[in-house]
Amino acid sequence: MTEAADRPHVIKDAKGKRPQFYAEPGIDQLMSMVMVLAGEVCMLRDRMDAQERVAKLHGINLAEGIDALTLDDEALQAREAYRQDFLDRLFYLARKEANEAAAQESDESYRATIADIAVN
Amino acid sequence: MLNCFQQAHHEMLPRPTHDEASRQEFAKSLKGFIQSGLLPGLAPVYQTRAARAFEREEGRAPADRRDIRKAMVGDPYFQLYASINRIAQELLWESTNLSVERELPELIEKAKALSAASKAQLVIPEGFVPPRYVTALDIHCMPGGYASEVCEDDVSVGVLYDRGVFLYSMGYGGPHNDDMGRSVCNYIQRNMPDFRPRHILDMGCTVGHSTLPYKEYFPEAEVWGIDVGGPCIRYAHARAAALGHEVNFAQMNAEETSFPDGHFDLVVSHILLHETSGKAMPRIFKEAHRLLSPGGLMIHADLPPFDLMDPFTQFILDNETWYNNEPFWGAMRDMDQIALSEAAGFPKGEARFTTAPMAIMEFMGAGYAADATESVADREFTAGEYAPGGGWEVLIAQKPVDLAAAA
Repeated sequence: MTEAADRPHVIKDAKGKRPQFYAEPGIDQLMSMVMVLAGEVCMLRDRMDAQERVAKLHGINLAEGIDALTLDDEALQAREAYRQDFLDRLFYLARKEANEAAAQESDESYRATIADIAVN
Repeated sequence: MLNCFQQAHHEMLPRPTHDEASRQEFAKSLKGFIQSGLLPGLAPVYQTRAARAFEREEGRAPADRRDIRKAMVGDPYFQLYASINRIAQELLWESTNLSVERELPELIEKAKALSAASKAQLVIPEGFVPPRYVTALDIHCMPGGYASEVCEDDVSVGVLYDRGVFLYSMGYGGPHNDDMGRSVCNYIQRNMPDFRPRHILDMGCTVGHSTLPYKEYFPEAEVWGIDVGGPCIRYAHARAAALGHEVNFAQMNAEETSFPDGHFDLVVSHILLHETSGKAMPRIFKEAHRLLSPGGLMIHADLPPFDLMDPFTQFILDNETWYNNEPFWGAMRDMDQIALSEAAGFPKGEARFTTAPMAIMEFMGAGYAADATESVADREFTAGEYAPGGGWEVLIAQKPVDLAAAA
């Protein structure tokens, strides 16, 4: 095995100007990110499917166990905490926007701060 | 029937991890969905709104593929189709490259060992410069193209192509991506049972997908595959050895090879011509004619010309030119291949297009369910799909047995 530092690297991007498909340039970026994420969702789904199949080979019916699982209060609490935390992270910009509104932060106040710090 | 076609493993392919394999399958599934789920919507979108909008603005109906393109590029449905198609293409290379990157030094060592143990020739000349039409853009958005080398004895783009093409074609080319070569071989055996070529040349062979069937069908023949991409040729030689075939490979340009006049009795190419150029293509026809012995056959399996299709089909196919780094794709389909054959020296009326039936039905077996293969072979071809249903359109021309009489 070649040492990690010496290992060659493949070329990652194709030569040739990429066309822009949508009028707003950011949409092309966004669509590619959505599709990469969709691919990762599918990969994770495959991986969970693999876990069930490997467990089955070892005599554990994980799939049946998962469907039969009854969540106790501790489990319900843990899952709800995770979901709320996840939603909080997913909507971090909404949180920020609300905080800005509350603090009456604006583009003008930001520019005023820059101007102020430059001289004071 | 769902397409669950699986590529057959051989020693020169990486062993993807679970997650790499899953990402590669996703790219293949996405391509399949685009064909079955997004492509069919283009025709109604064009007919019911894009063509009408064009008429309102221009005062006339769209007349040709250029007009249709103008009508469609601003339509949101077309934008979605075209952008997802492009992303699918990028993802198939990106996901394949994960495995290539992880195993590259080991794959290079394997290639060296396999090639060293093969009796077949491997010719990589010093200082060979690939033509500009292959290096100006990375064709079909494959990072690095056919000729880039990232280290000594590199085979990376060969590996990338072998796996990537399987995903691109969604396995329609069979477990070894060899359907085109196999189909032409079938055609020869069925239509010319007495033709037994002893010297066979495959021009623009890349990693030898279509080359190997010729050795399988004509085991006594000396078979050569040539290509301008050094890493592809190196990989092709090792891959052939891994699959148990003695096939010679050389880095050489099909426009001007170093073989003597009349050396071959069969000169073939598969999906080569549309990746050359307006100047190169006539030269390749002339070179094929020079290399053939009397009675020898030239067969080019590539894309059928535009004049055989309606303008909407032309428009869909021409998207490859605009969105998939295929600069010669559209222009090639406007070339008169019959006239080129005659200009190269084949007698008038000799060159013709014919259909080589797809060999996919022979792949039934591991990873190729019977009803899935039948549904590929039986379907009607829709423009924008990977391959025709029943067969490949091939150009065929024979050099006269009696050259003096033909002159």
